[in-house]
Amino acid sequence: MKPSVETHNLTVIYDKKPAIWNIDFTLPTGKIIGIMGPNGSGKSTLLKAIMGIIEPNIGYSKLFDQDLEDVRNKVSYVPQRQSVDWDFPASVWDVVAMGRYATKGLFKRLSKEDHRMIEESLNKVNMTPFTNRQISQLSGGQQQRVFLARALAQNADLYLMDEPFVGVDAATEQAIINLLKSMRDEGKTLLVVHHDLHTAQDYFEHMVLLNSRLVAEGPTSEVFTKDILTETYGGTLTTLSKVASVLQEKDFPMRHK
Amino acid sequence: MEFFTEILSFFTFSEPNVKVVFWGSLILCSISGLVGTFTLLRKRSLIGDVISHAVLPGIALAFIIGQQKNPLYLIIGATITGWISTYLVDYITKHSKIKNDTAIALILSVFFGVGVLLLTHIQHSGNASQSGLDQFIFGRASAMNMSDVWLFSIVGTIIVILIVIFFRGLSLLSFDENYSQSIGFPNELLKLVLSITTVTTVAMGVQAVGVVLMSALLITPAACAKFWTNKIIPMAILAVVISGASGVLGSAISYTYNGMPTGPWIVVVVSLFAFISAFIGSKNGLLKKHLQRNKNNTKILRENTIKLFFNPTTLGETRYNFEDIFAKSKMQRATLKKGLNLLKSDKLITVSNDIFTTTNLGIEEAKTIVRKHRLWELYISRFMHLQPDHVHDDAEGIEHVITPEIERELEKELDFPTKDPHDSDIPY
Repeated sequence: MKPSVETHNLTVIYDKKPAIWNIDFTLPTGKIIGIMGPNGSGKSTLLKAIMGIIEPNIGYSKLFDQDLEDVRNKVSYVPQRQSVDWDFPASVWDVVAMGRYATKGLFKRLSKEDHRMIEESLNKVNMTPFTNRQISQLSGGQQQRVFLARALAQNADLYLMDEPFVGVDAATEQAIINLLKSMRDEGKTLLVVHHDLHTAQDYFEHMVLLNSRLVAEGPTSEVFTKDILTETYGGTLTTLSKVASVLQEKDFPMRHK
Repeated sequence: MEFFTEILSFFTFSEPNVKVVFWGSLILCSISGLVGTFTLLRKRSLIGDVISHAVLPGIALAFIIGQQKNPLYLIIGATITGWISTYLVDYITKHSKIKNDTAIALILSVFFGVGVLLLTHIQHSGNASQSGLDQFIFGRASAMNMSDVWLFSIVGTIIVILIVIFFRGLSLLSFDENYSQSIGFPNELLKLVLSITTVTTVAMGVQAVGVVLMSALLITPAACAKFWTNKIIPMAILAVVISGASGVLGSAISYTYNGMPTGPWIVVVVSLFAFISAFIGSKNGLLKKHLQRNKNNTKILRENTIKLFFNPTTLGETRYNFEDIFAKSKMQRATLKKGLNLLKSDKLITVSNDIFTTTNLGIEEAKTIVRKHRLWELYISRFMHLQPDHVHDDAEGIEHVITPEIERELEKELDFPTKDPHDSDIPY
């Protein structure tokens, strides 16, 4: 089976310091995969680098064995809910319709089929009654559902989700995880950034544990162990962060010809 | 009176130059309303200010090089320095420790300072054709001529076409840049379209409004429009209408008072629109908030008054004269009278010989409000773990907030309770 996501020495440098460093893994398809790690461990950065939103300084990633450009319409990205201004003049429908722009591009008009897919996506996240609601009037959980509906409308095979469980009520969290499971059952792959250790084991079959560097990657039963968690959450490696500090202070290049 | 005849003479185009001023301001201001919608939505309001100040050295340099006031040269010069300024702000923010607001302040003042220096130099150079250059600081619509207007209409049309063609992309870029990138939209191209149109609009707009006030014309119409609509297309159209109208009105007024700069008048008019929008706008307008508050206060008074008529023993009819009910209430006399009048007009009570009697409707209302009060007391004592003697004040406020739907949910969640925390019956 083709791997869903493959990264090779993926490195992103922020402010002369690596935010993620040599991330190298191969992930399976058809699974709900958690990306876990402490605050500032580069979880969102990793997702953005895979999605081409941030250009990696070193390394590359492949999706379904291909370059991002060739499989873009098979991949959907769900940004963090707080990354946009919800006071923007748009309705729930308007936001979900953006999911169809992925195939429609800048200019093509939305067809009947597109409208049907938008309605269906809204229905899957139970937001149909709110179709015409202004997005500024939504609760946090509803905003997250709208973002998920937008991703569903893209009808992708791989979904990259940045913290979909943050700031949502328990009912929404349950609804989201049920939705993710039914998507997985349809053969989709879901890569989910998450930080709540309590629920991680129940939600994910496969995990990536991150702390600027890759700590572990594998089936949850194998990597969700006390030792690995201590290594992930027990602070940064002293020598590694010293090297990073020197890189930053002296402005050394990470690679040179 | 004279003022109105003058204004009238403006709108009847009795003088040939008036036509130029009318069309010139209308075109310039309308475009800036359209472009400004995206400037506002992308939260780049201050960038508009940087560009408008930074076009001044461009105008001056274009004049020094060309030695004449050719509008095309001036616009090209203005566009170039305006462009450099936004590029520098972004570059500094990205590549140094200097924060965005500092970069903006820095670039704005440096470019404007250089512009004023160059302008002073030109004025002292004795070139006769320089007269009127200093009007770029506050704007002078009457200095425009027909060839300017033609140029504005051509460039303006191109700007409008660009924005209409890329409308989908520009909206998505403004709402969610990362997502736009993730679905493969050409973000860099879209940003280029926005900055080209913004810089060009500003470069032309300074003719009428001047560099100092141009950013107000860019941002204010869109800000006004947002008070009226929550949809992006109506918002853009409304911004165009508001800024177009302000442009025409402002230049009409400045035309009437000979020698008055146009920019300040246009900005005064558009600010008036902003003030009106903030006050009576249908979305988030202050008047709407005020009316809502009044409505709430009336509801609270009405419910507090009918509550006085609640009969805890029979749950039925009650009769009081004014003094009795006043003694029961903790209200001012006048307030209570107002409350009683509300009840009377809603037919919750009847009055005869100074005796107030509840109607069937009133009995139900009184029961409902007491029920909401006690349900809430029970709810918070259970879920906020409050002692029974700490729940009353909260319920006094919240009883007016509980809608019938919430009431049903409370009943369900508490399993249709019969006693409140003080062991009083909950009336159904």
